[in-house]
Amino acid sequence: MTVIAAGLLIVALAAAAGALGGACAPARIRALLAGLLTALSGAGGITAGVAALSGQSWSMRLPHLLPLGSAELSVDPLSGAFLVIIGAVAVAAGVYSVGYTAPGGSHPTDDIEPAHETVPDAGGAASRTCQATLPLFVASMLLVPAAASVTTLLLTWELMALSSLVLVLADHRSRGSVRDAALWYAGMTHAGLAAILVGLVLFAGGTGGESFVSLREGADTLSPGLRSAVFVLTFLGFGSKAGMVPLHVWLPRAHAESPSHVSALMSAAMVNLGVYGVVRVAFDLLGGGPRWWGVLVLAFGCLSATYGVLQATVATDLKRLLGYSTSENVGLMLIGIGAAGIFAADGNRPLAGLLLAAAVLHAANHAAFKALLFLGAGSVLRATGLRDLDRLGGLAARMPATTAMFGFAALAAAALPPGNGFVSEWLLLQGLIHSLTLGGTPSVIVAVSMPLAVAVVALTAGLGAAAFVKAFAVGFLARPRSDAAASASEGPWPMRAAMASMLLVCLTLGLAPALAGAPLTRILAMLPTVRDGAPLAGSGVTLHLAGIAGSMSPLLIAAGLLGVAAVVVALVRSVGARRPRRVALVWGCGGTRLDPRMEYTATSFAEPLMRVFDDVLRPEHDVTVTPYAESRYLVESVQFRQRVPDRVEARIYPPLLAAAAWWGDRSRAVANGSVHRYLAYGFFGFVAVLIVVGFTA
Amino acid sequence: MSEAAYVQSLNLVVGGLLLTAVLMLWWRELRAIVRLLVAQGVLLAGLAGILAIQEGDSQLYGVAAGVLLLKGIALPAVLRRVLRDGREATESEPLVNAASSLLAAAFLILFAYAVSRPLVALAPSPATRALPVGLSMVFLGFFLMISRRRAVSQVVGFLLMDNGIAATAFLAAAGVPLIVELGVSLDLFLIVLVLQVLTARMRLKFGGTDLDDLRQLRDS
Repeated sequence: MTVIAAGLLIVALAAAAGALGGACAPARIRALLAGLLTALSGAGGITAGVAALSGQSWSMRLPHLLPLGSAELSVDPLSGAFLVIIGAVAVAAGVYSVGYTAPGGSHPTDDIEPAHETVPDAGGAASRTCQATLPLFVASMLLVPAAASVTTLLLTWELMALSSLVLVLADHRSRGSVRDAALWYAGMTHAGLAAILVGLVLFAGGTGGESFVSLREGADTLSPGLRSAVFVLTFLGFGSKAGMVPLHVWLPRAHAESPSHVSALMSAAMVNLGVYGVVRVAFDLLGGGPRWWGVLVLAFGCLSATYGVLQATVATDLKRLLGYSTSENVGLMLIGIGAAGIFAADGNRPLAGLLLAAAVLHAANHAAFKALLFLGAGSVLRATGLRDLDRLGGLAARMPATTAMFGFAALAAAALPPGNGFVSEWLLLQGLIHSLTLGGTPSVIVAVSMPLAVAVVALTAGLGAAAFVKAFAVGFLARPRSDAAASASEGPWPMRAAMASMLLVCLTLGLAPALAGAPLTRILAMLPTVRDGAPLAGSGVTLHLAGIAGSMSPLLIAAGLLGVAAVVVALVRSVGARRPRRVALVWGCGGTRLDPRMEYTATSFAEPLMRVFDDVLRPEHDVTVTPYAESRYLVESVQFRQRVPDRVEARIYPPLLAAAAWWGDRSRAVANGSVHRYLAYGFFGFVAVLIVVGFTA
Repeated sequence: MSEAAYVQSLNLVVGGLLLTAVLMLWWRELRAIVRLLVAQGVLLAGLAGILAIQEGDSQLYGVAAGVLLLKGIALPAVLRRVLRDGREATESEPLVNAASSLLAAAFLILFAYAVSRPLVALAPSPATRALPVGLSMVFLGFFLMISRRRAVSQVVGFLLMDNGIAATAFLAAAGVPLIVELGVSLDLFLIVLVLQVLTARMRLKFGGTDLDDLRQLRDS
């Protein structure tokens, strides 16, 4: 038995045992059993993935497992990368869930006034159903990249969608918005599945076999129109799972409403599978395509990155902010994939390889820091019952470990060194910038799209920094703005242990990205149109880019930053030590003492950006002035409400939903309640089928 | 059994099946229709028996006995109980009258012969040549369900359809494995029991079993 097979066996057995334990064990040990077995399942995924990335491969065929076709599994380096990513997130989420679902946390029970309605219980995530579903969700996610036939892929994909839907619904009893989020999620994920299904069925029909091997062999024999149809359909389907704008509507809702470890799994692991699907179908199964495929992916990537980060900067709900940031990061990955597609079509392999490597590396980096961020947000949520940044604050003194780890992850998400997000965004920018100088005169498309993409990445990085400064500073620093935030304290230790493990992953990826060089090379070697030498090389310290003159040393940058910080602290200390210290009240602008209400809130911090992007975001303001009863010139209170509706959603989806509702209303006339009529429909349908079959055979 | 005797008896039984099916469409007296159902069950068991003798398959004897027990005795007994409890002895006002029903039956039988030509052509034999009868029974049963109002008539139509499916299976594949037959029979028995309960409840609620009283049961 190879290492990969052993790893996948552990995945399946641990998940089955975890599901059984979650369903049947007594409440006391349920969380422990389900959480730890989920983590074990994730560890199995890491084992299999690492083995695949180090050059092993494995495949298996189970002929009679599925009714329509045989179940086929196969693990290659591309699957391996995603197995490792998902496995690592699953380990952290599994351990975290043990603490998160322990009794004693606060969970919001109402949308409008969460601060007054917190109930100290374990929340819906501790229920039998959710504990049993969590390992199944992890196992189905781990099987998606291992699937090697259309039927197997669709089956595991659907299992993943259904199990995650159950987990999103965890708190459906206490909050109405959960049901709404789940409905959006179910609708979008099934629309996506339908697109993937049609695309892959067309593909399999054209090549005459449904295993990936026969798809690869037959891809060249398809007509160009059919190839493009397959690509566009699967791209839209996988894109909806990846949270690509404008198919992202489910993402901020579902990520905000599900239990936090589930949000981490969905945002850091499941969303990446959409990216995996695009790479697998476009670069591997179809074996590359015309240039406009790349332009299409690039355009959607730019749109997602810009729109996602804009919404993140103005969001005040912490988990919603992280959800929009996921859309942004998926956009960055799609920019890398799209640009790689363009260069692969032009035959510029080194550049295509570099950009694709950057996209895959960014998937790993995003998974690490976004999992950490969601777990941190979950700790805050569990301690305070709040997601609203405007009511948080002052957590640095009350939850120091969580604050430190969230802070580092925010640094990474803002793409600043020494965070790991910096490395992959730097790679992406290098690839895009050098596209104009490398390989002679660029074509018109390249000359127009690449500078635009560079601008988008730069804008995204800047706005992303603003968004995460807001999330960290308003959420964790200063003084608490509500009683719930003032009485916060750290949760059980498994939560902190899980976050620390993700922090370790972030640090490793951020300081020694050259470790990823060899695995990324193996991934690229599988893909026919980008197959070329190593995109990144380097000793552990310096990172060299093959093909273009670029090198960087994250370790030295980090050491330099640390050194500068140490010098600055020492200087401040030495200067401060010479002056006598005076204790006094801070000036309160002529009023009374400084009050938490005078602090910056998330809304006020984002206000300048909101003004700049007013035309894009169109916020809705609502100001209510209440005068005293005696005189209407004396103001008693002013109430200010601001909502930033998702404009993409508000413009595109209502007409579609209205059309669906109209269609439903029309079809009601067909169903008038008469049993005889329904039977007659069946009868005439049956006769029609027989006529078609009987007279054409 | 000699070949000629086999073909003769097969055709006799199959003809009997078709005749009972058509009579079910014609008659209105529900008690008489249940008696037809008994006859049909016996004929179906006979069909299985003839095939068992011809094929020399011991399992088929078991199937024949099972069919006789279930379709010749148990299910008609349930229906008789329903009729004894209620006052509705006749199908008072069918949606399609008897003359039109017989015309439709003629058309449906022709249609069954037409669409099963490719099936017969696959492996011509005395048994497969009788295959259209099974298909006709399915059609007639379906038509019965569409055109009759009383709940008991619906059950009869359903049973006729099932008999048709069973006859098709016997004729096309010389019977199905015992285990499948057992499963199907169990399902059938449960369905009929459920329909019996439903009929009783309807009578309690509405005083009759006219299916058109159920029109309000829908999304509005």
